[in-house]
Amino acid sequence: MKDAFLIQIDHAEGSLQRLVGLIERRGFYIADMSVSDAGAFREVHIAVRERDAGRCIHALGRQIDKLIGIRRVATNASAVDHQGVSVCPA
Amino acid sequence: MTAARPVQQTEPQPTTGARLVVESLERLGVEVVFGYPGGAIMPVYDALTSARFKHILVRHEQAAAFAADAYARVTGKPGVCLATSGPGATNLITGIANAMMDSVPLVAITGNVSSALMGTDAFQEIDILGATLPMVKHSWIIRDPADIPSIFKQAFHIAASGRPGPVLIDLPKDVQVGAAVASSPFPPDPPGTAQRIDPAQVRRAESAIGAAQRPLLYIGGGVRIAGAVEDVRAFAHKTRIPAVSTLQGLGVLPVDWPTNLGMIGMHGLRAANDAVQACDLLIVLGARFDDRATGRLASFAPNARVVHIDIDAAEIGKLRHADAAITGDVRIVLPQLNPRMPSIDPWIKQCAASKAETAFRYDAPGDGVYAPALLNELSKQAGDAFVAACDVGQHQMWAAQHCEFSSPHAHITSGGLGAMGFGVPAGIGAKLAQPNAHVVTITGDGSFIMNIQELATLRRYKIPLKIVLLDNASLGLVRQWQELFFDRNYSEINLSDNPDFAAVAQAFGIEAFRISKREEVGAGIARLLAAKGPCLAHVLIDAKENVWPLVPPGKSNSEMMHGDSQ
Repeated sequence: MKDAFLIQIDHAEGSLQRLVGLIERRGFYIADMSVSDAGAFREVHIAVRERDAGRCIHALGRQIDKLIGIRRVATNASAVDHQGVSVCPA
Repeated sequence: MTAARPVQQTEPQPTTGARLVVESLERLGVEVVFGYPGGAIMPVYDALTSARFKHILVRHEQAAAFAADAYARVTGKPGVCLATSGPGATNLITGIANAMMDSVPLVAITGNVSSALMGTDAFQEIDILGATLPMVKHSWIIRDPADIPSIFKQAFHIAASGRPGPVLIDLPKDVQVGAAVASSPFPPDPPGTAQRIDPAQVRRAESAIGAAQRPLLYIGGGVRIAGAVEDVRAFAHKTRIPAVSTLQGLGVLPVDWPTNLGMIGMHGLRAANDAVQACDLLIVLGARFDDRATGRLASFAPNARVVHIDIDAAEIGKLRHADAAITGDVRIVLPQLNPRMPSIDPWIKQCAASKAETAFRYDAPGDGVYAPALLNELSKQAGDAFVAACDVGQHQMWAAQHCEFSSPHAHITSGGLGAMGFGVPAGIGAKLAQPNAHVVTITGDGSFIMNIQELATLRRYKIPLKIVLLDNASLGLVRQWQELFFDRNYSEINLSDNPDFAAVAQAFGIEAFRISKREEVGAGIARLLAAKGPCLAHVLIDAKENVWPLVPPGKSNSEMMHGDSQ
């Protein structure tokens, strides 16, 4: 199943590389991606798929959210719960 | 009342980027930088000669990162390491990764080739920003020398705030030599943001604790980082809830704390692992369910609900569902937690009986040196001033099991990365950070030789680090696994052609002696601790000695192997 993120990210050097690397390193396949310049920041649409059953989309959302320079993370999966209660792990 | 006289503003004068680097480090209160010069960082080294902080010239860049890491662990302030481009920068990588895995505030500064040459495969050019992306909190290539003060300020803040970690600043050579006026005055400290602790989650945690019959505190390294040792001790005292620790949580509760069951995990104590498997509530304080602590995760604490408190929201729910999830600093959260305690006397008695029944013994037969007993004796003789900088291997696990740490700051160990070679440079960093402590590097023959060149650093700066080298003439932990899990098919673990380590140390100008019999241990440790300068005790131990207990890899913590330990 694919989940989609909408991410607003600063223009800083290396920021896209940092984002893409994190997603792949945490066990997700990037199925689709587009980047647009939104003036003060860049807007990134990414569709991802778990590489195996043990991966949690909510955990990924929180990991993206803590990168420096991330302004906003939204996902079509049920809202990333920033208080940390995740339904993913067994 | 007198009229205020106008303050004379002097225009800031242009200066070089390299000078701005040094001034920024001075203004950030840096006292020590560990580094090694080279072509692409020479302008900074040129400016360093007038710096108000001390530079320690190590003999390998990896040691600079490890020493800065340990300095940071002891002081709580960011450690700083400095290297040139290319191989200098890549040699820092293991140390940067080590800091990332153990949440250590580290600022790594690298030179790079000039901006115009970047991307052309120039001599000693490497994309160090790209290479280190997976192992830093953040990183920068500075493109304008005017940005140096503000980026340095930001880097130190990011390294030390929230969940600490390493940052990297890459300085192209043209930025170091370029003239600039700082684009803004040295920026003020960013405003502190009060942590908002979710009261509903606090109530959920209190309710879970109130309903528990067998609650257990699970203490991780986040307690030390948060400066929450006293808060945890107060909570453990008030509630009488038994406690276990991860490798990084050791020392938060003293060994003789009545309800402290010790370390959990692969080489944890049986009483601690059994308590986790039996508990009905796990109160996780600054820990991340590391696989070396949990064993097979699916069977870890199978009957327990979980209260998880951590500064890093991304850790909560990552591997284990949290029934109550509190994102925040343990030091701030714990005083807000006031559960109505149920009667847990039967559970306390069960844990105490298990602790007594499964306690380590130090009466192993024979007259050879028994490493667990030696390490226990070492920590007792050194007392409250003891700080162990451990290398990686069997000796590291024996130190965790048998040294009596009075504080988590007394135990510096490469936990997440498990980097052999950490011990000696870490000892250097720790001793410089805490000169009055009995800082002892505990190492093995495999680990010691990985950064043996740092004996020259000890000698140069007369750093009175003490080294206990437990020599079993093999890669002991690998040998142990080959014995137990690979049908005794011993592959490339024999180090019986090691050099005479005492003679090597003496060649570096370091006092050294050998211990080979059990009867020599007490006096040997006393001699080591009393030495005025750096000193090495080369201890010969049985090559077949194993670390017990042991949870086989991939197995549940309920499936411990005990060997000859009990």
